[in-house]
Amino acid sequence: MVTVMELYQLLPRTNCKKCGESTCMAFAVAMLGRKKNVAECTPLLEANFKKQKEKLESLLLPVAGAEETGMIVHPELCTGCGNCVVACPVDVANDPHGAGMGCAPTNDKVIFKVVDGKVLASNIKECRRFGKNKVLCYACIDPCPTGAIEFV
Amino acid sequence: MVTCTGCALLCDDIEVIVENNRIKEIKNACRRGAARMKGCSNRLVPCVDQKPTDIESSIQKAAQIIRNSKAPMLFGLDNSTCEAQVKGIHFAKKINGILDDTSSFCQGILIERVLAQKFRTCSLDDIRNKADVLVYWGSDAQDSQPRHLSRFSYFPRGELRQRGYEEDRMAIAIDVRESNTAKICKGHFYRIPPKGDREFILALIDALYGKVPAYDTKKMLELAGILKKAEFGAIFVGIGLTYSIKDDFDVLTALAQKLPNFNIMPMVGHYNMRGFNETMFKETGFVNKVKFNGKAVHDIKYSIMESLNEKTADAIVVVGSDPVSSLPGPVLSRLASIPVICIDPCVTMTSKIATVTIPCAVSGLESAGTAVRMDGKVIGLSKIIESEYLTDEEIMERLVEAV
Amino acid sequence: MDMDFGKFLKSPEYDIKIITYRDIFHAEALESDRFGEEYKKLSAAISMSKTDMQKMGIKSGDRVKISNNFASIVVQTNESKRDEPGGLAFMVNSPWSNSLVSGETRGKGIPEFKNIDAKISLSKEEITTLDKLMKAFIKNPI
Repeated sequence: MVTVMELYQLLPRTNCKKCGESTCMAFAVAMLGRKKNVAECTPLLEANFKKQKEKLESLLLPVAGAEETGMIVHPELCTGCGNCVVACPVDVANDPHGAGMGCAPTNDKVIFKVVDGKVLASNIKECRRFGKNKVLCYACIDPCPTGAIEFV
Repeated sequence: MVTCTGCALLCDDIEVIVENNRIKEIKNACRRGAARMKGCSNRLVPCVDQKPTDIESSIQKAAQIIRNSKAPMLFGLDNSTCEAQVKGIHFAKKINGILDDTSSFCQGILIERVLAQKFRTCSLDDIRNKADVLVYWGSDAQDSQPRHLSRFSYFPRGELRQRGYEEDRMAIAIDVRESNTAKICKGHFYRIPPKGDREFILALIDALYGKVPAYDTKKMLELAGILKKAEFGAIFVGIGLTYSIKDDFDVLTALAQKLPNFNIMPMVGHYNMRGFNETMFKETGFVNKVKFNGKAVHDIKYSIMESLNEKTADAIVVVGSDPVSSLPGPVLSRLASIPVICIDPCVTMTSKIATVTIPCAVSGLESAGTAVRMDGKVIGLSKIIESEYLTDEEIMERLVEAV
Repeated sequence: MDMDFGKFLKSPEYDIKIITYRDIFHAEALESDRFGEEYKKLSAAISMSKTDMQKMGIKSGDRVKISNNFASIVVQTNESKRDEPGGLAFMVNSPWSNSLVSGETRGKGIPEFKNIDAKISLSKEEITTLDKLMKAFIKNPI
């Protein structure tokens, strides 16, 4: 996963404030948090920054697909084992006699489901990482052997 | 709900959406299972001498080859229903043939001991409800039985394990390779050198007796401590362990005796390999490697490997298996030098060298029946889509009639 | 005149022990098309530790010849993402790895599928195809 430093290194690092942030570092943090996008850094639009801009866009591509919680599922890495389906505390609470017991989910209130051999996330607002006073939960990341789920 | 035949977990909680007699969407099956249920891209067609013909001519030619053979062999049936396996055994009896399956070079040696009650064993449901210490030994369940950890062993909440994997269960991996399963076992991965399982077991037994183990003393004592405290443990024996101790399997029996709270569970790949072993055990008293001659004679020379090495068989009927793909290269020339009759839904490497090919329906997709899960539980398979193919069960019946 | 001196110099050979394993992506490729490109790509590959590869002068993506008494095949090298012990190489169980396995079972019926001794060296040859594998063992595939 891309880090703030990697993004920062590609910025003009002039702290020009044209983006509305006070420093380039703050802008990098905002981009990673999907609060700002690359185009808001106007100096980057100049020709001599073309390469950096392209690199930034490619680094931020997976982040762009993140759900509101910052969750990204990489279907190409997913084995469909369902560990996350059963380990997710929200799934256990919302479907104790289905997903919570290791069986197929029995209702639509769960976050994770496996479709066509790959995991699909829905009901994302139920995620413990979502909204105010969130919890930094790792229950779906830790049981995944292939790194198919990450949060940004 | 339908059953997945991707591996011997036989997940029976699969939902499918069928449209125009094709599977459009599969829910709950893993990547491997989903691929299996979507089927292969190249279906087999009936051929004689690699020339397309009709199924009737294929069956007649197969019967002729078997009639002319002095020592015919039937091999496979691990990807067939129990009903087809029973018919297959009858067919082998009728032709006084040799009968073997993949288990003779896979988990057969272990399943034989489980069926003969040399080990304590239990069901996967017991494991879900009770197990607190899980040992994946030479087994990468995550890749071979992908829903094992999530459906039964590690992640689910069970009757006595309400706190699930977070607090109530501990997963341990013992392996040569840091597999995907070993990754999940994190702090409890014991890496051993190739063929090091026997020494590891002996050292572990020492540690369990309170002796100082000769091997990796600190970690071994730690492991022995964990195993001793287990209330309901399971050792999932993968093919890595089976291959490694195949010459001295009794060391595992000795370890199991020293661990009274543990159960031994064979990790099976092919969806109905255990079914084959059980059906054979019921019918003949042996799990594989049999020649029928009025009665069933069990001998290593009737294993697929030795049948080829010692030229015991002079014609072979392969059902739902691809020995050209799964056997060592050096024995393939012998296989290709005898007439091969290949019964399979798909084009395989074996069908490419076969004298006769007979396409069949995909069991559990185009035909129903039953199969035996890796823990011995019988699971129903459903017919999900219509097809015009004969089932392997029907083909076995037809061959019995035709010979 | 173009002289490729490299071809006169035999690449150094190293002894390796190959451990075979199962991989879910490989199993998926097998189910959908055992004659397809994906299955070949995942089968005709060997992975080793970074340290071993450096020692042998092999880089990720290089083609290598793996040979022993039973076969000689060309596969692609991948650097293992894990911290592997030295001297071990890993291949997915497939017709490629099986070609290197002895047919001798010492009367046990179980070949050494997971414990293969072989030599490895850099190669410029093409990756071995399934067709070629079959032809190596079966004189006249029908």
